[in-house]
Amino acid sequence: MIDPQLNINRRILLQNAGGGIGLLALQSLLLADENKSAKKTLAPHFAPRAKRMIWLFMHGGPSHVDLFDPKPELSKYAGQSLPDSFGNVMTRRKVATNPLLGPIKPFRPRGKSGLPISDFLPHLAKHADDLCVIRSLHGDSVNHPQSVYQMNTGSILMGHPSFGSWLAYGLGSENADMPAYVVLPDPGGGLKGGPSAWGSGFLPPTFQGTAMRPGKTPVLNLTPPTGISDSQQRGTLDFLQRLNERHLLKRDNDEELSARIAAYELAFRMQSAAPEVCDFSTESADTLSRYGVDRPNTQDFGQRCLLARRMLERGVRFVQVYSGNTNGWDAHKDVAANHGEYCEKTDQPISALLTDLKQSGLLEDTLVVWCGEFGRMPMSEQGKGRDHNPWGYSGWIAGASVSGGRAYGATDAIGLRAETDRVHVNEFHATLLHLMGMDHRKLVYSHNGLDERLTGPAEVDVVKGLLT
Amino acid sequence: MIQRQHIRPQSSLPPHRPLVGTRQFLLSTLLLILCFAPTGSLILEGGENTASTATQANAVQGTKNKHAELIEHELQIDKIDRGHWAYQKLTDFPPPETNQSDWPRTTIDQFILSKLQVHSLSPVAEATREILIRRLSFDLTGLPPTAMELSQYLNDNRPGSYRRLVERLLASPSYGRRWGQHWLDLARFAETDGYEHDKIRRDAWRYRDWIVNALNSDIGYDRFITQQLAGDVLSAQDTKQASSKIATAFLLSGPDMPDINSQRERRHVLLNEITATTGSTLLSLQIGCAECHDHKYDPISQADFYRLRAFFDRAIKLKTNESVSTLTPNTNPDAASQIHPRGNWQTSGPKVSAAFPRIANLSGAQVTDKLHPRVQLARWITDPAQPLTARSIVNRVWQYHFGTGLSNTPSDFGVMGEEPSHPKLLDHLTIRLIDHDWSLKDLHRQIVLSATYRTQSKPPVPASGNSNATQAWKDAKLTDPSNRLLARFPRRRLDAESIRDAMLLASGTLNHQAGGPGIRPPLPQALVKTLKSGQWKTSADTAEHYRRSIYIFARRNLRYPLFATFDRPAANCSCATRTPSTTALQSLLLLNSNFTLDLSKHLASHCINENSEAPSTQTRKIFQRLFARQPSRQEEMECNDFLLRQATMAKQQGSVTPALAALTDLCRALFNSNEFLYID
Repeated sequence: MIDPQLNINRRILLQNAGGGIGLLALQSLLLADENKSAKKTLAPHFAPRAKRMIWLFMHGGPSHVDLFDPKPELSKYAGQSLPDSFGNVMTRRKVATNPLLGPIKPFRPRGKSGLPISDFLPHLAKHADDLCVIRSLHGDSVNHPQSVYQMNTGSILMGHPSFGSWLAYGLGSENADMPAYVVLPDPGGGLKGGPSAWGSGFLPPTFQGTAMRPGKTPVLNLTPPTGISDSQQRGTLDFLQRLNERHLLKRDNDEELSARIAAYELAFRMQSAAPEVCDFSTESADTLSRYGVDRPNTQDFGQRCLLARRMLERGVRFVQVYSGNTNGWDAHKDVAANHGEYCEKTDQPISALLTDLKQSGLLEDTLVVWCGEFGRMPMSEQGKGRDHNPWGYSGWIAGASVSGGRAYGATDAIGLRAETDRVHVNEFHATLLHLMGMDHRKLVYSHNGLDERLTGPAEVDVVKGLLT
Repeated sequence: MIQRQHIRPQSSLPPHRPLVGTRQFLLSTLLLILCFAPTGSLILEGGENTASTATQANAVQGTKNKHAELIEHELQIDKIDRGHWAYQKLTDFPPPETNQSDWPRTTIDQFILSKLQVHSLSPVAEATREILIRRLSFDLTGLPPTAMELSQYLNDNRPGSYRRLVERLLASPSYGRRWGQHWLDLARFAETDGYEHDKIRRDAWRYRDWIVNALNSDIGYDRFITQQLAGDVLSAQDTKQASSKIATAFLLSGPDMPDINSQRERRHVLLNEITATTGSTLLSLQIGCAECHDHKYDPISQADFYRLRAFFDRAIKLKTNESVSTLTPNTNPDAASQIHPRGNWQTSGPKVSAAFPRIANLSGAQVTDKLHPRVQLARWITDPAQPLTARSIVNRVWQYHFGTGLSNTPSDFGVMGEEPSHPKLLDHLTIRLIDHDWSLKDLHRQIVLSATYRTQSKPPVPASGNSNATQAWKDAKLTDPSNRLLARFPRRRLDAESIRDAMLLASGTLNHQAGGPGIRPPLPQALVKTLKSGQWKTSADTAEHYRRSIYIFARRNLRYPLFATFDRPAANCSCATRTPSTTALQSLLLLNSNFTLDLSKHLASHCINENSEAPSTQTRKIFQRLFARQPSRQEEMECNDFLLRQATMAKQQGSVTPALAALTDLCRALFNSNEFLYID
């Protein structure tokens, strides 16, 4: 009667309990009685096109004009400077007056659809008919960290909740023993903007991305410390829980104390669940080879794509896989060398991932997203490189019954700016949420007197043309 | 950036300014039509489809005239606006008389009791001395009592023992290391810039030390914030205040991107963030909501926002690629202050000059040219005639003691905030604070000496047969489940820093050394790798690894894992309330980390060395250190059984020191127990 926010508090408590990990288990534990309200708030707003999502994030900014957005004009005018008609261009490294640089490798029509994809990506090209390439993405900053933040959080400023955090907040987890939002960072580290890219911002910390990695200890502190045997650990935990039970009884069965007791049990279960996900021994040699796990160049990204697939199969809501260390796809100097390396690292693993998702039928209700924080300029930098370009660039989506084999939107004649059917990052987010069954206007969190949302304060619309 | 939604469906308060809201809405809509494009795209719509720079300049010109409306049609403050509780003058209400005269210890209790009686409730019984010393020690110093402090207090049978305990804790240097962190949360303090390079701000630790010292010396909250707003000016004028320049790091403690493309954009973002933080932290007003448009609910215009910002417009000296940490008295006297329509740094609206936010300016104070404007701002903010500042800090201090403020929206006293549960008590304490030279320690004393603060947080033991006490507890839980009326003390989890510090103290490893540059305990390689290389260099001197939590280097891009896991805020915006979460990752960390194992070993070895013979003596010692109490007979037996079992196991696994291994397990279990992690 006193606290109008009681329901909110209860909701936060319930969602926090288990940290996304074991959310449903905990809910059923704590809501065994009547109150189903908290559970209801964790449902999609409408029938979702996809139940899970994987986001392949090419850190550094892959070049759209060299991968997905063929520009014959760019070849034609290569070596000349940008015509005056294009006006002023804000760039990071003052390349506006540099000569134009033609596409590095040839494009070819692929699949039945004839969707053009560059020779940089021969493996992905086989999936052309499943890809919806968006050629008209655009954002607001020429700087890496701001754009990494924007693509992840909707805002160029540091400190907003990431897409995955919003998803975890809105939808929860489908697996009682695994987090809702898993991040598989590039082992090279050094993401520009740091782990805030998967932070929960002003959402409760429980919704932040859980960074995991392939191998026997995918999560920090997952196993008992060195020198403590499993039986010793179980004995210690049992003793702890007995103490906690008695403590609880003297305290009117306080909900928060109960939740912590449950969290210890879940932690114990996670000790076996998480390594199981990362154990590739049940995968065939053929599979491992298809993902490129058997070759040095593709091993790392292949392992992480395979891990991502296994997580999706086990009910993790959202997996984000990063490609690119501090420099990553940031091809200032030499697009051919840089993209040659990063395309080789990722092309075959991504192809294997799509193949597997398609074969198992998961692709039908799984949303796959590929993009970087921006694209690259049609002008050259240092001769063979390209500077950042947030004003128009490409990404692609697949699955979630979005029709493939097509390109949506267009940049101008040389790929400098998004021109037709422009898709701002906030609109892109609204659309992705829509495919996940969430209305971006309703997915709000009250913070400092403001109803915050992923897509920011301005009104944006879902891009209907992407839903078909 | 226009259609901010300020509607909070869970709030029971309807916005009470519907007409004004409509006017604002029309204006907003107009602006929206004028400037449909999102930020940044404005100047860059290019190529064949739209504008060249020239057309774009026209567009800006075209909107300029319209922007004049931002001042010409500025909403006037009316009586209804001023009627809101937060803008009322402070009133010295006499503490109400109550008919349970044996309970109140301070005037606070009279206000609390009176309200309880309105709801037919009674306060529950007082907590035991063991519980009180643990509660009070954590609350005031962030540390549990040591075994010696515990026995001193329990054996002090003279009258006034509790008061002496309070005085000892308030005088302890640990007080500032505890309460300083509360302020650092509000100041979104970190020692690096954030963004890509996350560069170190070399002097940031000096600000942290300044805060700790200022709180320990109880300089008065008015001086405390005056120096944080204008310490640079004051130190330039008076050599005795030379050290107070560093206090202005308060304003610049948020994230910053020194290598951003445009330093103009950088300055704009910083200034707007400073203005918003000044509003929310010092005045408990969400002034920041008026950055892009007039506040939708509170009578704060966009012009008000930029007039407040004008106090800071000339205070920041920026250099590309260089961090900035303190304000400078006058960088560029010619820089004009203006409104930036839609909050966009590239748009320019009418010029404004520095002025106090009208809604809170009850006395109609004006900025003159006799004093440095920022000194005038500091004076206005700390002028008792302006009631927000003092109410705000009293509410915050109350919140840190009880977990919930008298108003549950400590940084938003506007119409969308929550009205105080005990408005008269809030004013009573606020007036007392001002009358006592804004002494925060006096305020703490008032609060912790109250009977309200000393109540139990758990039900009476059923066997006690005290049916009145049992009934009081049941009624309180039923009528007031969220405990806003405070018939009982709200149980709370230790915050991140207290968990770590208590583990260090209990295991005898805490290094009490004060101040200095932040220290870096070792981190798992997997985490260090998420940073740019070289961004976490472990402190070479291992003794440093055992310093208090407030001295751990606060890197914006990587919170110390135990802190991040246990809900320390990310230091990207002012944080008034930490949201405590309960997660399996917390359990994994406390159960399995080398940190816990290391400290468990320390504690176990310590107890074995001192009490080599009897396991029950060891158990007692550990209970004292972790729970500030003796184990019951039953608990002692259970612990003994556990030790035997674990020792047998350890022996089977080839341990040469099975007793030590078992005791280490016991410590590890108890460090993870709810009794350790929560304050009753």
